[in-house]
Amino acid sequence: MTLTHHRWLAEQLPQWEREGIVTADAARLLRERYAGEPRGGLAQMIVGAVGALLLGTGLIAVLASNWDDFPRWVRLGLALGPLAASQAVSVWVLGRGAAAKPWVRESAAFVQTLAAGAAMALVSQIYNLPGAWSDLVFWWCVVAVPLAWVLRSDAVAIAYLVGIAVWTVAQAEARGNWFAAADVADVRIWFPLLLAGVLPRWPGPGLRDRPEPGSRLVLAGAALVGLLAVAAYVGIRPAEGKSSFGWLALLSGVVVLLFPLDRSGIGEPLSRKPQVLLGGFTVLGIALVATYEGPARELVNSLAVGLPLGWCRLLLTIAAGFTALACWQGRRAELSVAALALVPLLAAPLSPRNESGWPLAIAFSFALLATAIALITLEFRGRRGAARIGAALITLLVVMRMADADVSLLVKGLVFIVIGSCFLGFNAFVSRRRAAAPGGRPA
Amino acid sequence: MRPATVVFAVAVAAQWIVPLSGVWLQERTIGRGLALRIECTAPDPYDVFRGRYLAVQPAEMKLPAPAGMPDAKLVTMWATLVAGDDGLSRIESLSLEPVSGPTVIRLKGVKPRSGEPKQEALLAWPFDRFYLNERLAPDADRIVAERLRAQSRPVAEIRVLEGRAVLTDVLLDGVSIRELVKRQAE
Repeated sequence: MTLTHHRWLAEQLPQWEREGIVTADAARLLRERYAGEPRGGLAQMIVGAVGALLLGTGLIAVLASNWDDFPRWVRLGLALGPLAASQAVSVWVLGRGAAAKPWVRESAAFVQTLAAGAAMALVSQIYNLPGAWSDLVFWWCVVAVPLAWVLRSDAVAIAYLVGIAVWTVAQAEARGNWFAAADVADVRIWFPLLLAGVLPRWPGPGLRDRPEPGSRLVLAGAALVGLLAVAAYVGIRPAEGKSSFGWLALLSGVVVLLFPLDRSGIGEPLSRKPQVLLGGFTVLGIALVATYEGPARELVNSLAVGLPLGWCRLLLTIAAGFTALACWQGRRAELSVAALALVPLLAAPLSPRNESGWPLAIAFSFALLATAIALITLEFRGRRGAARIGAALITLLVVMRMADADVSLLVKGLVFIVIGSCFLGFNAFVSRRRAAAPGGRPA
Repeated sequence: MRPATVVFAVAVAAQWIVPLSGVWLQERTIGRGLALRIECTAPDPYDVFRGRYLAVQPAEMKLPAPAGMPDAKLVTMWATLVAGDDGLSRIESLSLEPVSGPTVIRLKGVKPRSGEPKQEALLAWPFDRFYLNERLAPDADRIVAERLRAQSRPVAEIRVLEGRAVLTDVLLDGVSIRELVKRQAE
């Protein structure tokens, strides 16, 4: 059981006691057995973070108005003083151990993070230091992330994830600039290392801490954005006129989509698995675009350029491992979406490089249709599927094919009316079916 | 000692070391370095984290590439500066090998690919910005633009020590740009 389940149980027990479903003794035993660690939750994190942010911003605004009038040593004192003060507060919070309230921990960690960043930024401003803003982000992330581990701060962990994603994107972008390219960090090595920096927070040393739903979204988003940035860093080579970005982006989506989950994680609803949503939509998005001839041709070209690359082989190995685990765990819906990545591999021989992309485009259209049918069928057979996403996929396919079809506007309009009606009707049917099911899943 | 305490102590140390290493290097150069003046241009951009600054670009951005400089690769170079009769320092020579001397600056340079009409090295100086108060920056930008139109170029005042250069001020007709803006505001 996850902490989310613990909290859900704690919320249900009083009602169960009132309705006589469980006795008072049984409820007490259940509470003792499934006692959850008091967690901050989103509200605690927001209270801590907003308070810290207001404090820091106000202080900076007051000082900035007179900044130029201070001698250098005063400016240095003002840059480093808040850092010392925030560290002293954190020491006090650490000293209180488990007695420290979650919002106090969050605030202390976040204020110290802001103070560390402000100290570095102000020192480089005082001495007119050159360098890219992304260098500052990198060092800020590195010196701040231990606070997420030690003070168990979700706000710092989230800021760190956003920071490393932004830094990785900046490195990929700078690589396109031939003058700046020499100073660019190799994000194939750095991004995985930096992403691993969040492991001591989630799942933590005891492997028990799960991120809250909002934090999960940031975690999955940062991982996906970072992987796409690495794909751009590795794949886009404007000087050579070649790109393997499309293929590497597809593989990145598959890796995020199939990221391993334990049994309780698999059992959670889709809304609590943002990595499945984000990874799945990336794969489906690329597949939908590749149903057109031009993008399909580019995808075939990017496959040919990408396959010999070490990063591509690494992604393929990870994807293969995740696929094997997903097969063993019976994650059929995710596997049906991930299988779309096989289409370019299998159809590439039919669409040689720089020739027509139609064979691949047609193959993707049929594969998407098959995926949609699989998602619908899985749900109707009582397994974990996604009937609505499947229906939306079919609708999108029909709309895309009709939009560029050489038929009259009247025919297009009638088809859109029919497909729209079918989609709405299907959604209503799925809602009723879910509500009628035992346990009444939300419509 | 608990592992959390050790990790926290390391984090605190790192949070001090990163800014203080910059402070120590810059203070040492400012305190013991040789003062030089270099002719510049100075437009007015923005740094998302650190605020408004004047982009300081020395006038000498392209010079004949030293022998043996590779194509299209950013390399470290050593520039020896010599002061002219007007008090402004200019690059006398560029070297790909380390050179010592009180007026030597370590900088980076790149030579475009072969086939270019001139084999020149494009230089990246170790200073490129001069931070100003948000309030002063727009006025400074306007004053610099006016002086540039009147053929008067800004001058970067730097301190040089052991190849390291620190920008200490930007002057217009011998007066610090900060002072100039404040005087105008008054």
